[in-house]
Amino acid sequence: MIQHIDVHAVLQESVSGVYADLVTRPTGRVVRERIERAMATAQDAVTVARIDFTGVGCIDYSCADEIVAKLLRDRRAVVVLSGISDGHREAIEPVLAGHGLAALIERRDGGGAGELEALGAPEAAAALLQDLVARRLAVRTSAGTIALTLA
Amino acid sequence: MTRLVDVPAQFDDRSFEQFAGAYVAAARDGERLLFDAHATEWASPYGLVGLLAAGQAARAAGSPERPLLTAPTHADVLTYWTRAGFFREAAELFEIHGKLPRVKPAEQSDVLLPVTPVRAAEDVHAVVSNIQQRSSAILASELALDPKATMGFAMALSEACQNIVEHAGTGGWVAVQAYHWRRKLARRVVVIAVADAGVGFRHSLEPTQSKRFGTRWGDAAALEAALVQGISRFRDPGRGQGLAGIRRYLARWDGKIAIRSGTARIAIVPKWDDDVPLQDGLPAFPGAQVLIIIPEQGSTTP
Repeated sequence: MIQHIDVHAVLQESVSGVYADLVTRPTGRVVRERIERAMATAQDAVTVARIDFTGVGCIDYSCADEIVAKLLRDRRAVVVLSGISDGHREAIEPVLAGHGLAALIERRDGGGAGELEALGAPEAAAALLQDLVARRLAVRTSAGTIALTLA
Repeated sequence: MTRLVDVPAQFDDRSFEQFAGAYVAAARDGERLLFDAHATEWASPYGLVGLLAAGQAARAAGSPERPLLTAPTHADVLTYWTRAGFFREAAELFEIHGKLPRVKPAEQSDVLLPVTPVRAAEDVHAVVSNIQQRSSAILASELALDPKATMGFAMALSEACQNIVEHAGTGGWVAVQAYHWRRKLARRVVVIAVADAGVGFRHSLEPTQSKRFGTRWGDAAALEAALVQGISRFRDPGRGQGLAGIRRYLARWDGKIAIRSGTARIAIVPKWDDDVPLQDGLPAFPGAQVLIIIPEQGSTTP
């Protein structure tokens, strides 16, 4: 199954509720632990975790490391990041590259599963997409893009 | 007996060394200090947060009485320091002498972020939230930065402030201001200044790094390790991202960073500046003081 996790909502529960930015390592740690707990307690086995950053303002490098890099290293499920802005990418991309990691970014235009793009270290990115297709979690579309098979 | 520490007439990162030398000499015997700013004509954000760090250090040195501070006598200077939020913070550290004007800290002006205390992660959230609301227009319209750069600016600010929370062992201050830098660049700049009088980089990194550096170990080596090599005191491989991220951001926008800690100062120097990349043997001023400058985009030939 695909589990949808609303990071903005998790952030609001984690800090005082008035801030929309994912900044500082302690905040990142709390948010990641809540996401991990949600993934661990899902009723059905989670194959893909769609981590949605819609509504999140700024992400700093510490939070990108604490949340995205650590969730990826944990490898509990395939992690797909959605709702990612250019500003978010600016923090996430170098952090992933520094770790030799890659993450899947989903670009969604109006509902349903969208195009996937791998972000991070080039070799890890290529391997990640290959693995996803091999496990039939994603397919190569006729337009040459990659999309999740699960909705 | 009271020992005098002169605050330079033009108080910025350059004249800070003169100030630090005066502070170190005066603080040597533990007497009460008098910081004399009566003749100060101008202070950069770095000067203001640096002066607070000196007050913090003087209080931490254990003198039973608060250090004294003579406020600037020039009305415009006094008004600016007040608008910049300096006296609101200074009142806790110093016994202030001089008539302070009744003006509120700046809401809409070149003071993008008044002098703001940073003690915990919650303060960093507040700083980032405030700066995004106030800085985006200035960064885009006056500095001609791509609107995307606003987010990077908030990231850099967040990481600079987190150094205090994670490494200083005490609180510190941040201030952000935009101004026209006539002397150096003849164009507008945005300046972030962060200062604390905490343990400093050498002390923070010593348990994990001193052996690796051997006899070279000291304040300069610690700054080099942190800023150039991205080394953190934590063994977690993801640590050290903050300063590396700031460097990347500044490289993209032709900015500058300088960090002073203990007896050393390191700078990543852009082409438009002639600062010294690494200085050692400076007066032993406690904590860490960070300066970040982002210039108006376009030709930055000095």
